[in-house]
Amino acid sequence: MSMQRLMAAEFFKLRKRMMTWVVAALTVGLVVLLYSVLWSVSGRAGGFFEGGRRFSYEELRRGLFLEAGVPFALQIIATFGTLLAVVLAAGAAGSEYAWGTVRLMATASSGRLRLITARLIVVFGLVVLIALLAVAVALAYSALITATNGGADFGFVTAGFVKAQIFSLGRTLFVMAPFVTLAFAAAVVGRSTLAGVGVGLAVAFLEPLISNLLRLGGSPWKNLPNYLIDANRDVIIAQNQLPPALQRFSFGPSARQLASRGANSLPEATLILAVYIAVFIGIAFIVYRRRDITSASNG
Amino acid sequence: MAATMSHGREILRTEGLWKQYGRITAVADMDLQVFEGEVFSFLGPNGSGKSTTVGMILGLVRPTRGRAIAFGSDMATHPWPALRNIGAVIETPAFYPYLSGYDNLRALAIMLGGISNARIDEVLELVGLRERGRDPYKTYSLGMKQRLGIGSTLLGNPQLIILDEPTNGLDPAGTREVRELIPQLAREGHSVFLCSHLLHEVQAVSDRVAIVKKGRMVAQGTVAELLGRGQYLRLKAADNDALARALGGIPWVEAVERIDGFVRAEAPVAKAAELNQVLATQGVYLAELSPWEVELESVFLDLTGEAADV
Repeated sequence: MSMQRLMAAEFFKLRKRMMTWVVAALTVGLVVLLYSVLWSVSGRAGGFFEGGRRFSYEELRRGLFLEAGVPFALQIIATFGTLLAVVLAAGAAGSEYAWGTVRLMATASSGRLRLITARLIVVFGLVVLIALLAVAVALAYSALITATNGGADFGFVTAGFVKAQIFSLGRTLFVMAPFVTLAFAAAVVGRSTLAGVGVGLAVAFLEPLISNLLRLGGSPWKNLPNYLIDANRDVIIAQNQLPPALQRFSFGPSARQLASRGANSLPEATLILAVYIAVFIGIAFIVYRRRDITSASNG
Repeated sequence: MAATMSHGREILRTEGLWKQYGRITAVADMDLQVFEGEVFSFLGPNGSGKSTTVGMILGLVRPTRGRAIAFGSDMATHPWPALRNIGAVIETPAFYPYLSGYDNLRALAIMLGGISNARIDEVLELVGLRERGRDPYKTYSLGMKQRLGIGSTLLGNPQLIILDEPTNGLDPAGTREVRELIPQLAREGHSVFLCSHLLHEVQAVSDRVAIVKKGRMVAQGTVAELLGRGQYLRLKAADNDALARALGGIPWVEAVERIDGFVRAEAPVAKAAELNQVLATQGVYLAELSPWEVELESVFLDLTGEAADV
């Protein structure tokens, strides 16, 4: 029961916080913005090249139809939503130190470990809710585009299709988790939101650059990116089966590019990311549980 | 939990509590006890280890050695059952700035469980924040924040209330309210552990006092014991030198000092008449004889050699 109370209190605090609503609004806003831009672009005549193949803008428009609504929304969430989730996680953990409420919470809760577990669960819960909201908005937008381009055909909605969409959502949330837990752990260790946001965003932005540099370095450096978060994230998110015409706007490598890199297999990538998640959660828990809280902002 | 002859049930005890930060000893060998229904004041200059001690009592700081036991729980290893019975506001109160006073208490109430919205309103009323309860905490004055801090400690109706400088930032009226609230809490059966630098306030409301210096306990006892009430007499005669000599010759007068034109004699106040008679037989006639009143501040300064914690 006490765990439920802690989660309810964490949810109450985050629900009342402006940051949560800003993150949700930005995530939804980005989905709407990208759909609007691509819908506008898809009205042009002609086409574009992607992965050695020419696509017409008509194909791009079809990629925005309901059938691809979920995977494309999830692609946007996996890219931009991750950055916003980093801010949410770091803010939830780090602000307690800035406000000095870390001591209040530690003495009012039924255990530090329970408290931090409840907080992490609620942060993930909110990330899931925001992702679902963004997907719902994307589906509504896709329905609008589909309807204005010859009406809806729902023949694609089969049990297999629904299952694939659920798996896509699961994969997207899974690849976001290392960044969310990293930001959370960094905020706890650094006792500040800035530490969490800084480390989370630095890894999100710098890892792809460092990975590319390492790949250019040849053997033995070129294999190192396979042990980093970004390369394994790409392997997993590539399973979401985005329409080929939308690959250019996926902000990630295609399956062919991944194969040419010698990327990890899906189980290997899953295991590596799971290890990262476990390590980040472990660090946050150990530090939060064992460290003295010697002043209001020092925990 | 032990019961004593002169006090209520013991609810908090520290045994050889010690905290070492590298080469710095923050708290050394701290033994103290708090009993049910009493107001216990914990005094010491800045950096004397008060907050570290309170931190160890609340399980926020791990002792290097020794232990703090509250309500039968070792606070370093298993503080949670005891924390249900403790309400604490340490140093400056800290709450969520974007939440109202009411919502801050609501968040705490959800965590603690079993606290109704009516109880939150009742607490806000008690600390004088009913009118401003729905305003954001960030708009509160320091005094209002202090009052919300005190309110938060009362929310779960705990047995032990720890108040660290509860009158900081309060105006004279607010200070008086808190001074009146503390004995009222004790009358209602709460024990109060009070850290304050306002020694007059402490003297007025405390049952027992502990004074710490450089992490070590230098005195602990009832206010009367610490002030030496009933143990000193203030005397004056035409010839104070002769008076001091005569007092020195009386076996049951322990110590004689000359202070500000008076002679202070360590002797039971109950024997004042007898002393007057003895002195008269020796040809020393007193112009003044009264109990020597000592302020807690003087005792504090004597024991710590420093000004009160400000």
